[in-house]
Amino acid sequence: MKFSYYPGCVMHGTAVEYGMSTLATCRTLGIDIVEIPDWNCCGALEVYPDMYLELALSARNAAIAEQTGFPMMTTCAICFHNVSKAYFAVNESEKAKDMINEALGDITYEGKVGIRHLLDILVSDYGLENVSAKVKRSLSELKVAPYYGCLLARPKEIARFDDPENPQFLDRLIGALGAVAVPFEHKMKCCGGSLLMSREDLAHHLSRNILEEAVNVGADCLVITCPMCNVLLDLQQKEIEKRYGITLNMPVLYFTQLIGLALGHKPKELGLDKNVVSTAGVLKKLGVD
Amino acid sequence: MNTIKAADFDPNFKFEIEKELGGEHLTKCFNCTGCTVGCPISEIEPAYNPRKAMRMAILGMKKELFESEIMWLCVSCYTCYDQCPQDVRITDVLNAMKNIAEREERMGHIKLESAKPAFDKEFVDSIKRHGEVYETGVVIAQIVKHQGIKRLLEYTPTGIFMLKKGKLSLIPKNIKGMKQIKNIFRVVRGKE
Ligand code: SF4
Ligand code: SF4
Repeated sequence: MKFSYYPGCVMHGTAVEYGMSTLATCRTLGIDIVEIPDWNCCGALEVYPDMYLELALSARNAAIAEQTGFPMMTTCAICFHNVSKAYFAVNESEKAKDMINEALGDITYEGKVGIRHLLDILVSDYGLENVSAKVKRSLSELKVAPYYGCLLARPKEIARFDDPENPQFLDRLIGALGAVAVPFEHKMKCCGGSLLMSREDLAHHLSRNILEEAVNVGADCLVITCPMCNVLLDLQQKEIEKRYGITLNMPVLYFTQLIGLALGHKPKELGLDKNVVSTAGVLKKLGVD
Repeated sequence: MNTIKAADFDPNFKFEIEKELGGEHLTKCFNCTGCTVGCPISEIEPAYNPRKAMRMAILGMKKELFESEIMWLCVSCYTCYDQCPQDVRITDVLNAMKNIAEREERMGHIKLESAKPAFDKEFVDSIKRHGEVYETGVVIAQIVKHQGIKRLLEYTPTGIFMLKKGKLSLIPKNIKGMKQIKNIFRVVRGKE
């Protein structure tokens, strides 16, 4: 199983622990990933108004991956959405394909190679029974709130991934790792990410609702699949506590960090010391130091 | 009561939106409110209502839309997109409207008040310069400009933690394929 890996900009910045845990878990699971050379930023959520620019920026990455012949893999839900959009645009419209390739200039994107999110690969291709077979550390004590966010399953014509109303992939993965996925109503509710830099009040309100449900259902941690959700739920959690005068103290783990723990990795290899809200409680519960 | 005058509207606005990538389906909207039910922003900010934004666009209330914060409140979560019985693709229509506004601002025709288009610009300009976004610089510039130095200083402990953990890049670096990035911007935004 081999993929061209598109990490996305944040893996060099705020999401460095996501990048570390992705590499560690893929290595242990025997999934061969090779970073695509000289990739560019997909424009994240900030490029959305200009869809032509959005498609062209992602098409450049896909064109480079296409030269390798292997499908692209990412763990960033935003990169996943943006590249998928370019893939379907090129495959569904000759006009879009011409426009995009005109912008690309000296490279061409044929639309042969698309992108997959690692979670989808694990459930649909690798097989959760094969993940379970590699589990070395019991997570049975752990109650986990699965948080999908927006772009992993929506919109359905782009994501083509799981039921957009009530997705189960992450719940099932958590179960396959031996932990307990708690029913979580906010699993598909937006964290407010794209408003953080303009309407912090609204962004905090949305994230507060998610974090409070995790607290109320007695979750030991929240598990996420998107680095932007991490900025709101983990990095901004103290700010949210301050704004509302509440205590949340909810550890937020990337799904790759949870897998890595189950596979027996040391916390440091998974960057668990880099999460802003301390993950010490989770590790203690698992008897790891 | 605040009444509106239909004669003041711009009847071409809907065609302008339909010409944008993503804006094509605007006039399919039959005003059913399906999009507003479940919109996370409508739930917490009474001023926001995606059905109303579609209605205003179809009526040609360009000025009102561009002078208010309405369209900048959409968080692009795509909840409404999957719910609309008419396949209006509201999220993309809103983005098409934002694109017209951001373009008019780049050309110096209007000035947008919201901090959201300012951040979009800061972010996209960083890609234009480096190929990768220089997250640290973009975020610091935005906080200083729109929330003030005082707010930035409040982030000092978090900043130090992130620095220690290697989560902040301090120097922007350019990708090798800058010629290709420049070409993308030239073709996409050339005529401006
Ligand atoms: S759900 Fe669709 S048709 Fe109904 S009001 Fe919203 S955009 Fe219009
Ligand atoms: S995409 Fe925008 S309008 Fe639609 S539900 Fe989300 S926030 Fe509301």
